[in-house]
Amino acid sequence: MNYLSSAFGGPWCVAVYTYREGIRRKLLIGFLILSLLVIFGSSFITSFVDPTAETDIDLKLIKDICVTAIAIFGALITVYISASVIPAEVETKVIYTVLSKPVSRVQYLLGKFLGIQLIIIVNLLLMGGLFFMALYIRQGIMPTLLLWSIFLTYFEFLIISAFTFAVSCAATSPLVPTLQGLFIYITANLTEYLKDVEHRAGQTGQFLDEAIGKIATALYSILPNLQNFSIKMQIVNGQPNDPPTDVMIPWLVLYSLVYAVAGFACAYLVFRRKEV
Amino acid sequence: MLDFIKKNQTALMILVLILSLTAGTVLNHKIRHLRESEAFYRWILAAAVNERLFQDDDDQSEDALLFERCTALAENYAPFDNSPREAGLSLLGSIAQNYEDDKRIWSFAESSLAKEERIAFLTLAKGQKLQFATDIEYAEAQAGGVNVFNLFFGFRKVAANLVWLEVDRYWHQGNVYRMQTLMRTCVALDPQFIEAYLVGAWHLSYNATAQLPDTPWPQREWNARHEQCLGEKERFYYHGIDFLREGIRRNPRNYKLYFDLGFGIYKQKLEDYPNAVKYLAEAIRLPHDRWVPRQLFICQELNGQYGDALEGWKDYVDRYPGSMTAVEVAPRFIMRNEGLLFETEARLLLKNAKSTANPGEAEQMRSQAAALWEKARDTWNALDDPYGEGRKLMMDALELREEGRYLEAIATLDKARWDTGALFTEFSALIMEIKQEAAIPLSVSEKKALLRESEVGLCSGMPEEERQRRMKSAETIESSFH
Repeated sequence: MNYLSSAFGGPWCVAVYTYREGIRRKLLIGFLILSLLVIFGSSFITSFVDPTAETDIDLKLIKDICVTAIAIFGALITVYISASVIPAEVETKVIYTVLSKPVSRVQYLLGKFLGIQLIIIVNLLLMGGLFFMALYIRQGIMPTLLLWSIFLTYFEFLIISAFTFAVSCAATSPLVPTLQGLFIYITANLTEYLKDVEHRAGQTGQFLDEAIGKIATALYSILPNLQNFSIKMQIVNGQPNDPPTDVMIPWLVLYSLVYAVAGFACAYLVFRRKEV
Repeated sequence: MLDFIKKNQTALMILVLILSLTAGTVLNHKIRHLRESEAFYRWILAAAVNERLFQDDDDQSEDALLFERCTALAENYAPFDNSPREAGLSLLGSIAQNYEDDKRIWSFAESSLAKEERIAFLTLAKGQKLQFATDIEYAEAQAGGVNVFNLFFGFRKVAANLVWLEVDRYWHQGNVYRMQTLMRTCVALDPQFIEAYLVGAWHLSYNATAQLPDTPWPQREWNARHEQCLGEKERFYYHGIDFLREGIRRNPRNYKLYFDLGFGIYKQKLEDYPNAVKYLAEAIRLPHDRWVPRQLFICQELNGQYGDALEGWKDYVDRYPGSMTAVEVAPRFIMRNEGLLFETEARLLLKNAKSTANPGEAEQMRSQAAALWEKARDTWNALDDPYGEGRKLMMDALELREEGRYLEAIATLDKARWDTGALFTEFSALIMEIKQEAAIPLSVSEKKALLRESEVGLCSGMPEEERQRRMKSAETIESSFH
């Protein structure tokens, strides 16, 4: 019991102070305010639609714009916060103070990672909450499918966050890992194209052509594919009790957790030899 | 143990990394399988709805052929054993009728038994040879034909919304043809954009045609697909129908599309009640709003399915006992359908009595008919509204007709049809029937009404066989004029 409290107590303290530090960042607050403005403003775009047609088009516009705003701003917040937590501590030299305490590097990293997740979750809840209210006011019924969409969005961010966190462990300033994080977000969304490369490769019969095909196959199998989470858009406007969606959600959660562990392991391997 | 972990932290972390990447690879494979199965499942639902509602018997498209393969395979799928099969439908099509069986279709779509068909589906979808699978993102990604920006951000739905705003703008500018093209772009970007199908079909069938006069028959052209003579105005109705059909294939589990097709176009615009009943019956198979079955029962009544309408209304009252419709509207419709049923049965019995050779049996039929006739009259008395009054006058007219008092019968019906607008068409037809029976000359407008252009009208591009059939039909009708 003592071991558990000392093993997880330290990371939890680090997580809480990471959260407190992170939530005060001006850029993060800026992203959050922008996203909230877009979500709030989505209600006004419906004025472009023919008011004489009594349809649910305005509702669909709001849903799509809000889900997209959450995806864009949420990804930016995730990348920025995951990329900046460690380098900011190195820059301000706080890391030396923390690591001089009885906290191991793995505990420190775990705490930081948990703190990042707390920030992402709180931001997502704020954006999702406003979106939820906007829909509830218009529809008059609880948009429960929206909760599933936001739930899946978090797990998509978990993967981005884990790998951005890993690259940030090697950096001393937040700028480079932020760019790398954006690169991770984009490439992880393009993994599907590796399948296309695999199909097209080998047509000339040359060694290099075939090798490219094999590399594409291997990468397609190993790399996380964020397009798998595209069903979050489908859920919001879809029908409840859709069998494929019901089956897919638990698998996607597991998928995200597995890659988050891989990302965290990478972070540790990068950080263990870091001179601090 | 703890010491061991502390000492070998790095090695353990490398092990964790390898294990998680291996698990990630396995999960990637699993999710890929699920996504492919999902695409296949959605295509099965679309192909099943196509088989049930739209498919021609001689359809040789890739979709029809692959669906045939799937239905043959489904016969050997153990969980489908003992599933009831609807007449004229395949086993898979019968199961897909019921949305509560979607899980069974899904289990079939992802089963190892359907592996070969799934691969065949993906190959065809990748080659864009399946018309019901062109909207599936997976297939499009494989074909590499989608804008990279849209795909990786997955924001095609937002793009569809922006296109829709343009559609709206074109509509207000009166650019109907340009609007149509954009509407198709819109649903190509977001095939689940239900409102685009609904509003688009409404624009096409109602608004675009509002200012257009009916196209004169000589100016119409034969449309082989719909086997009708269509002019510019009439074509818009069918564009609306096609647009909604496309929506139904892509969203077979949304009742609004079936409702708009059945009620909005077939009932309201084309007065094609059999088709209206067909699509409204599909709408109520799915989770729906309360007003959907009410429209179905009205269409059933208009289609002469009084028994079905009566049962429907009674069921509605049982389901929603306290609702305003159940208290104020349904009882009137129940009485109407009861009265119509009595009338129909009585007229059928009288007809049979005339044709039967057995005098005893004929007498029995006549007495049964008289009893039913009285019941109908009682029902119309109890209904006590213009409709009931109209029906009573019609019954009087039919009695006068039986007595050979044709002119009085016609005069009674003429009064009734002007008093009860809802019965105008029915009573006008009855007047013509009586006139023909009594050898009374028809008026010019009555002759024109009998020679309905939808049955005897000729237009350019018509196949010779159809032209001959219509000309013969016109001759037969004309020969009955006195």
